[in-house]
Parts: sequence; structure tokens; C-alpha cells
Amino acid sequence: MPDAENFEPRIVAFLCNWCSYAGADLAGISRLHYPPSIRVIRVPCSGRVDPFFILQALQQGADGVLVSGCHPGDCHYLTGNFVARRRFAVLNDLLEFCGIEPGRVTFAWVSASEGERFAKLVTEVTEKVKKLGPNRRLKKELP
Amino acid sequence: MDRSEKLRQRARELLEKGEVVMVIGSGPPSDSGISPVLFATTPEQAENLTASTSCAQNLANYLLKVRDRGKVAVVARGCDARSITVLLQENQLKRENLYILGIGCEGIVENGRKSVACAVCRHPNPLIYDEMIGEPAAVAEPDPEVSRADAEWEQLSPDERWERLSAELDRCIRCYACRQVCPNCYCPVCFVDASMPQLVGRTHNLSDNMVYHIIRALHMAGRCVECGACHRACPVGIDLMRFNRRVAKTVRERFGGDAGTDLSQPPALTVFKPDDPQEFIR
Repeated sequence: MPDAENFEPRIVAFLCNWCSYAGADLAGISRLHYPPSIRVIRVPCSGRVDPFFILQALQQGADGVLVSGCHPGDCHYLTGNFVARRRFAVLNDLLEFCGIEPGRVTFAWVSASEGERFAKLVTEVTEKVKKLGPNRRLKKELP
Repeated sequence: MDRSEKLRQRARELLEKGEVVMVIGSGPPSDSGISPVLFATTPEQAENLTASTSCAQNLANYLLKVRDRGKVAVVARGCDARSITVLLQENQLKRENLYILGIGCEGIVENGRKSVACAVCRHPNPLIYDEMIGEPAAVAEPDPEVSRADAEWEQLSPDERWERLSAELDRCIRCYACRQVCPNCYCPVCFVDASMPQLVGRTHNLSDNMVYHIIRALHMAGRCVECGACHRACPVGIDLMRFNRRVAKTVRERFGGDAGTDLSQPPALTVFKPDDPQEFIR
């Protein structure tokens, strides 16, 4: 068990293929540094991200979840992120209502040209999750 | 002629003329005050109908189960009619196969206590119907106790909220009664029953219980009419309406409108506006 000081969070990042994944790629190509805390799952669109994916990541032991897609209006499928935005809004409110720590799940828009923004975002999210400590709420503990 | 007598007369007529194959309504209340659901397929059976509005179930749920039989009449309170509207919006029912006998609702009263859903009801009268039986009911003032409890919950810290919710949902025995009574839960295979892959663990486990209830509430977003059937069906007394009220509030405040109140509008989470609020997104 890592102690609090050396706690390195594991963050599951759902990145849309067309913008945020390419943004992450650009951050890599540009040799930008950001914490090695994220585990990227590439999805076709932020609209593909079922709230259940987010909860399941937390259940299976992720310390944080980052969901990122194209900026509104830039969706490759035109309206995917608009529909996702409504869904995420309800999820976000419900997680707050249930007492999941604010910051455990982060939503962001990152375009394919925003490599720097992506690196900064991951740094900030990692810091935030580090402060929150390991995820103990939704994590499924087997008896 | 009192309302029940008028209702029975209309039900008899509809069945005798063969305009409908069945009338779904409620029978005489039991000692607890709750009326059973009554399915009348002959004019004789319709003699047991009452205009009691104290049926614990949402009658729209049964329409889904008899939707292949032809035209069915249903006695609808405000919440039943809103559920019917949601099912019509989602193409689960055909309007021409329904005959809606609207009644103004006085709320569901069990052992002298009004159901928590009815205590804050904003739509006691059906918004769609073919004919109204009796007079519409007056909209009662919402019970301040419920909004006080909701406001108190919002004031709690995340830790306290989690503690209290854990204690409550730890009691869930995953019987899925809340799902079974819900007219909106009509998926042929529910996500909790899917086995390839299995999405949620089926045992009594706090994490799985939480995920079940969060996803259940999310699936209700923009669709839940707050009839409270799930709340009344829960054998361990989990306050499911607390979830439903919160989700409905989020939808109302962010996207506007109550579920099932406007047949011309699609459910809130199936559409979007380019300028929907997104203050929570970085």
C-alpha cells in the first residue's frame, strides 16, 4: 500500500478520437511533460462515454476519471458532445449529491491543437486527485 | 351521481360497445387505504371499479404489458397520464390504442399518511385525457417538510452525504422492485441483468448497490414523473424519491420543464441546446 506522501494516483482518461486523443498525441510529439498518471481509453466520441463507464472505472479502483472531448461545435459527429454534455451535467450533479468528492471526476474540452492545454489539464487533475487521496468510496472491495 | 358511479358507467359502456378490450383502473381500497389495480375485460368486472386515487402503482406500467391486445382504457391520475406521455414520446405506446379516463387525484394515502411523492405533487390532474371523470383536483401546497429535508441534505459535507447514503443503500437487497413497478423501466434486458458482459455485480455489495442506484436515477433523468411507485414498492424503505427529486430538479433547472408534461417536446436528455450551461466542464 503506498503511503499518502508517495501516492501516485491512477486516473482513467476517456479521450475522444478526433480531438482530445489527438491533443494528447500533440502533447507527446511536442515533448511536453505531464505526470504519468493517466491511463488513456480512446473512444470514438465523448457521446460514447456512458456514465456507467465512469462509475465502473471508480469501482475497479481508479483514483480519478477524466472525460474529454471536442469543444462544443467541433464534434466530428456534429452533435455527439452536445448530447453528452447534458448527460454529464446530470451525472456530475448526482455524484455531488451522493457525496463523491468534487474533483474525482473531471470533464473537459480539449481540441486537437491544444497539446499544451492537455498537458496542463493532466497536471492539474493529477494534483487535485493527489490531494483527495486514494479512491475509497465507490471502489469495490471484495469480502 | 358520484365519481365512482360515473366511472363504472363509462367503463361498462366502453366494454359493452367493444370500443376497448380492457379497462385498467383501481378497485375498492383495503383497510390500509391502498387500492389494488383492477383489470376489467367484461362489463361485470367493471362493477368493481372505483375512482379511488389511492392505487400504489403507476397504471401506465400495465399498458406496456397489454399493448398488443388492442385499444385499452385506463383510469389516469396526473402521474399516470404523465407516464403515458413519456411512453408516447418514446414510441412505446400508440395514442390511438388508448382511451384515457382522467381523474383528479387526491394523493395516495396509506394508513392515514400521504405518500411522500404526493406530498409535493405539482400535477394532480392529467394533462392528456380523452374525457375527465368528475372535477379536477386542486393543486395542494407542497409539504414544506420535504423541501426542508432536501435543503438540509444539500448543506451536508460530501463526507456526511456519503456516510448517510452508504448506511441507507447498504440495506438494499437488490430485489429490483423499484425497477419492476416503474413504467419507464421497460428495457428488454436491464443493465443489471446483462451477463455478457456482466456490468454490475449482483451480490449485496455497497459499491454495486451505489452504482445500481446512481445509474437507475440517471436513466430516469428527464423521464421520471415522480409518481413515487418505486419508493412505495421498496421493501426496505430506501428513500428513492430523494434521488428522483434531485435528478428532476437538475433537469428542470438546467434544461427546463417537467417530464411528461408536454407531448410535443422530446424528453430532455435526448435533445440539446448549443448554449446549455457547462460551468462544470473545464
